[in-house]
Amino acid sequence: MGSTQTKAVIMGATGGGTPRLVARALVDTGANVQKAAEHGFAVACKEAGISAEAVNFVVGTGYGRYKITFGNAQMTEITCHARGAAFLCPGTRTVIDMGGQDSKAISIGAQGEVLDFVMNDKCAAGTGRFLANAADVMGIGLDEVGPLSLKGKQPVKITTVCTVFVESDILSYLALGKKPEDILNGVHLAIARRTVSLARRVPIEPQITMTGGVARNLGMVRALEQVLGATLQVSTEAHFTGAIGAALFALEKTEQGSESHIGSSAHA
Amino acid sequence: MHRVAGIDVGSAITKAVVISDSAGQASVIGRGSARTGVDLEKAAAEALAGAAAGAGLQRAAVEYVATTGFGRYSVSFRDLQVTEITSGARGARHLFPHATAVLDVGSQCTRAIALTETGKVRGFKTNDKCAAGSGSFIVRAAKYLQVDLNDVGEIALRAGSSQPISSICAVLAESEIINHVSAGVAVEDILSGIYDSLADRAAMLLKRAGMGQELVLIGGVARQKAMLRALESRLKVPVSVPADCEYVCALGAALLGLKRLTAQAGSGALKPALSI
Repeated sequence: MGSTQTKAVIMGATGGGTPRLVARALVDTGANVQKAAEHGFAVACKEAGISAEAVNFVVGTGYGRYKITFGNAQMTEITCHARGAAFLCPGTRTVIDMGGQDSKAISIGAQGEVLDFVMNDKCAAGTGRFLANAADVMGIGLDEVGPLSLKGKQPVKITTVCTVFVESDILSYLALGKKPEDILNGVHLAIARRTVSLARRVPIEPQITMTGGVARNLGMVRALEQVLGATLQVSTEAHFTGAIGAALFALEKTEQGSESHIGSSAHA
Repeated sequence: MHRVAGIDVGSAITKAVVISDSAGQASVIGRGSARTGVDLEKAAAEALAGAAAGAGLQRAAVEYVATTGFGRYSVSFRDLQVTEITSGARGARHLFPHATAVLDVGSQCTRAIALTETGKVRGFKTNDKCAAGSGSFIVRAAKYLQVDLNDVGEIALRAGSSQPISSICAVLAESEIINHVSAGVAVEDILSGIYDSLADRAAMLLKRAGMGQELVLIGGVARQKAMLRALESRLKVPVSVPADCEYVCALGAALLGLKRLTAQAGSGALKPALSI
């Protein structure tokens, strides 16, 4: 249950084998968090072709996790992102998570356990919200800002990371005739610098894995790599990392036998 | 008699005044404004044209132009530029001769300026890192709440109980506001909470800058009585608001321009030609 989007996944495993991702759903969280949870879960079940009753155990995570009334357990998104990242990108020691309205860096151990974390939820810098705002100001789609920024050759200088101030910086640079790709390149680098300085408060150890919705923005991935001087692992399922981590904990619970009814045929 | 213009090129609105001095007494004879947009020079020229017309003057009758505000260097026809700290202090002190501090709540920046006994700037604190506590917070909130910006201050005064807004980020507060609306919280209570948030930030800046006993509130937000109420309830000192609170920095710039012009005239130096 993210602040902006709700991600639901259904995972299955047969006889202690490697867990498999069976279905995923992505819906907007909106103002009614409980409704979004129910909707996301229903879409994932439909995608998997199973009934809600066939799901053995539901773990909720994210800021709205306590609004998942039908869930069996709740866990923090820190724990779930660590677990999910270790599953998607084995060998992960640092997770950089950029979500809709916050960003985090998590230091994790060999088993995917959380060692330390830092978080920015005070301001929109380094979040999807920032990028959505920049896209709005530029008059382009959110999916276009990253690819366009990669074309920039001479990034403009952006000295602030405040979403509101960057908005006027962008307008001024456009008025000065700067190329949109150079403006966006500068904007991505400014946010990358800010995020990396946050992340440096936990020891940044390789491998570094990026998670959260912003991981879909290749421009941000490259900007972070440039500032870090290191390569980032990005799974194709990066957007769903938290939900996947939560589902892995749920699978563990079922394997421990805390639920008796098994919808194994649907998982096969 | 001299006629001098002060132009405050702010991040949202550009304000201009024309002043004249007669018998050693400077007074405002015209005001004009324009949306700043991206062409700062054009906005400055437009605001000045408005101020000159308001004074019943031809543009050429204005002898000297002093600029202030973030875009002060972008006006090629200026004779002098001063920071908005200096101009805000000068303008406020002209209107309230006993002012000990000035709080300027602008669109993108809030400044707390402490004054010396003679009205010089003793120190200042500004929130130039982010928009928290600035006028743009209110502008954005009004947009989400679909309330006309001219009405927000009045509406907030009708609040039964303020809804605290925990996010200081103008952008993240949006979701919080939407959640309050969907939870059925009254619009006036939400708006009142936003003024509380702004006043909290401002009080913090004032405390760090030093305040004294007579505060003058300037900038566009000063027009909104809810801001005044939220500030007074926190600071426990009377807060004065000039009638033309948006034009105080422009006035301050004009006064400083007049002083410079008079000094030049007195020393016999020739004024450089206006480069229009």
